[in-house]
Amino acid sequence: MKDINSGKELVNKIKSFIKNYDFEIIASESKSELTRFAESYIHQNVAEADLNLTVKIINENRIGTVRMNSIDEHTISKNIEKAIEVTKITPKLDYHYRLLTPQSYKIKSKYSKDTADFTPLNRAQLVKQLIKEVNKREYEAAGAFKTEESTLLVANSEGVFAFDRGTKVDFNCVITRGNSTAHTSFIDSDINNFSINKITDELLETALKNVEQIEIDPGVYTVILSPEAVAEILNYAGYTAFNGKTIMEDKSFVCHNQGKKIFPETITVCDDPFDELTMPLPFDLVGYPREKIYLIKDGVVKDGAYDHLTALKYNRKCTGNTLSPESASFGALPFNLVMKEGDSTIDEMISGTKKGIYISRFHYVNILNPMSIQLTGMTRDGTFLIENGKLGRAIKNMRFNTSVVDMLKAVDMISKERQIKEGFVGPTVAPYLRTNNFTFSSKTSF
Amino acid sequence: MKEILKNILDWLEPKVNYADLRFVQIEKENIEVENGILSSYNVSTNRGVGIRVLVDGAWGFAASNNLNKIFLQETAAKALDIARASALTKKEDVKLAHEDKHIDTYITPITKNPFQVSPAEKIDLLVKATRMMIKDKVKKSEGSFIFYKTNKLFVSTEGSELEQTIFESGGGITAYAIGEGDFQKRSYPSSFGGDYATRGYEFIEEMNLLENAERVAEEANQLLLAPPAPEGVTDIVLGGSQLALQVHESCGHPVELDRVLGKEISYAGGSFLTLDKLNNFTYGSPEVTIVADATVPGGLGTFGYDDEGVPASKSFLVNKGKFVGYLMSREDAFKLGLPSNGAARAENWNRIPLVRMTNINLLPGNLELDKLIGDIKEGLYLDYNKSWSIDDKRINFQFGTEIAREIKNGKLGKIYKNAVYQGITPEFWKSCDGISSEKYWHVWGVPNCGKGQPGQAMHVAHGTSPARFRKVKVGASK
Repeated sequence: MKDINSGKELVNKIKSFIKNYDFEIIASESKSELTRFAESYIHQNVAEADLNLTVKIINENRIGTVRMNSIDEHTISKNIEKAIEVTKITPKLDYHYRLLTPQSYKIKSKYSKDTADFTPLNRAQLVKQLIKEVNKREYEAAGAFKTEESTLLVANSEGVFAFDRGTKVDFNCVITRGNSTAHTSFIDSDINNFSINKITDELLETALKNVEQIEIDPGVYTVILSPEAVAEILNYAGYTAFNGKTIMEDKSFVCHNQGKKIFPETITVCDDPFDELTMPLPFDLVGYPREKIYLIKDGVVKDGAYDHLTALKYNRKCTGNTLSPESASFGALPFNLVMKEGDSTIDEMISGTKKGIYISRFHYVNILNPMSIQLTGMTRDGTFLIENGKLGRAIKNMRFNTSVVDMLKAVDMISKERQIKEGFVGPTVAPYLRTNNFTFSSKTSF
Repeated sequence: MKEILKNILDWLEPKVNYADLRFVQIEKENIEVENGILSSYNVSTNRGVGIRVLVDGAWGFAASNNLNKIFLQETAAKALDIARASALTKKEDVKLAHEDKHIDTYITPITKNPFQVSPAEKIDLLVKATRMMIKDKVKKSEGSFIFYKTNKLFVSTEGSELEQTIFESGGGITAYAIGEGDFQKRSYPSSFGGDYATRGYEFIEEMNLLENAERVAEEANQLLLAPPAPEGVTDIVLGGSQLALQVHESCGHPVELDRVLGKEISYAGGSFLTLDKLNNFTYGSPEVTIVADATVPGGLGTFGYDDEGVPASKSFLVNKGKFVGYLMSREDAFKLGLPSNGAARAENWNRIPLVRMTNINLLPGNLELDKLIGDIKEGLYLDYNKSWSIDDKRINFQFGTEIAREIKNGKLGKIYKNAVYQGITPEFWKSCDGISSEKYWHVWGVPNCGKGQPGQAMHVAHGTSPARFRKVKVGASK
């Protein structure tokens, strides 16, 4: 699918095999390359070209879905026959399945030809430069550097036709010298915005401070979370609490708190494809236009993200958050989580903290209690004491068991600066946060 | 397909130190039912070729879904370019542990081909089971089946030619009791989708879903009204399903040699089982023997050959408490002067083989379950995983379970909800003083072991029988 015309040709080809049935189509094509390094050399270096086609046949409220990664006529016709067969033997849905009607789309994915054309040699040269600099300080570098070009097409028999093309640069790195470590990450659509010098400086600045870690006792602390750490917390909250399906099933924190102001007015979290920092998709996987939805607005719990099936089943409005048919039973996820900025600088947040902890990054976060959004996880790659307004000694890693609800209730400072970080679907835009209620439950030995 | 791959191999041979080509085709059928209503039925086929080359001692890999001969040749040329780029940062040449040439075929032994069982029969079973669970506060029930047929063809410049057909079947049911601002779930036969095996549809039939549906729903109802698990330090027995994940996280991952060597440090992390500890570290009590065994019949990590063409094997990781072995690829094994133990596995044609678990099994002890529990004055019986987390060297862990039962004076008592337990890996395994016998031993399939960049979800398994651990920190999620 080089362009919109080849997308239309593909849809026409598929249509010719479907005949008179209603249908939905998702076609995604990607060219993805990733250079991985560890111990300061490139140890894995891969490239992949793939195209996946999903065809959903709707026959008298019965659905059959087939997926294939070859689009020759034989494969398409054989699979469509199978999907039609499935609709003849499966039971009817317990709600009326309606196809989306044609829509218009206000945004496009960001695309950079330079990213699409970036070569393995280009990536290796930048990795080499990073390695050379960190090796001078006797650190080893490990990480991954991905460049990707992808095309997405969604169409149906009602005339929906949505086509989009985007690029992505995704870089992450950890440098290590014994227990002295640091991490950074970068996401953008355009390789021209990537600076290996900036990355190197950030890594060394943190790593050189993250030495001779001391042990502290578990307990409740004031913490300042980096945008990386905030993004991870937001993604788990989005996953467990703001999925419209779990809200409808009475399995979410939102159910009993909708409309209540339980957080400070400074807390606003939304799914916002229009945010200037994010990398949006213009539509979801049935072709709904993406829109801005509030999950928490000015401290008030609003609502979740809804997919097409949940919206049909519970008579709600789909918010443009439909996932692929393989993930349909999960419900919906926010695609572009965004937390509203505050008015502080990170320097002000640190200088205004008498005693606290700065957290650079979490590891292996998981859900402990979905109703209170209690999460667990470890700190890693740079956790520091803040004493009398100064970032001080590095501390050994700790396990946290903390409720996102309690944590957000106690937020008293948010940074103006926001950063774009990896998310569960699209990226997440997050600021630094200071909260006075963050519970560490145990410690580890490094 | 074999001829096309061999032609490309011939073209590559003079240009490389080593190359292997893998054609993989996966057929998948996935059925999901909620509250007695079919919610999704998906079938898929996915195929392609991955080409891995070692040029001037550095790796390159390229993969494509396009099976056209000319296109595959371009993919091979791309792999060569990538390898040359890798060489830019090379410290030393990659060397591979010796492996004999193998020409062989392997097919998973099955009784009933799951793809020949009618979809209607499979759907009907899930519809019945999920309907039976809707009772009292159980307002939501789920059931699912998943079946795979994977055809693999492997050829290498060392002359190996391997064809494998691997069948996998899995599924389970879950009941959600909802009310009072809370919900509690109970799963059967295991959490997160059930149990999985390299077996046919007979594996599903042996689950006896209908016979267990009402019991599982009743336990979910009881959990909703149950008090939270008590906090403190106490003796625990872990049921087989939970113990499988305990083995997975605190033994399976830290014995992956690539993690130990730092190759996963930026993402999944490293390991506390550093090279100096091999044959020189007490990992657990003398009760604890853990093996990697890709030959166990039916294990989800069972196969004929790994994705580097190394035969499936059994090797010891922990022997009577002593740490004695790693999971290894050919490249990593060479660094220790050892042969590979066949643990390099790739999720699909578009991924490179990484060091992965196979069936990582805690060998059974000799105790009856009554005796295991009977020797506890006060404690908890914990089973069916609900939450898991472990630090990036695999030392500090915490797990939550779906259900906890009080143990008082050697007898099982009341139910507790939201139980969690925490520990430090070697201390925890050293506190193991009893493992139940083979009678209770089962190989649990875990189909979602994540690792690598780009990510790879591997199908692995863990043989376990309930085991006892002393003085463990327990509590409840809030």
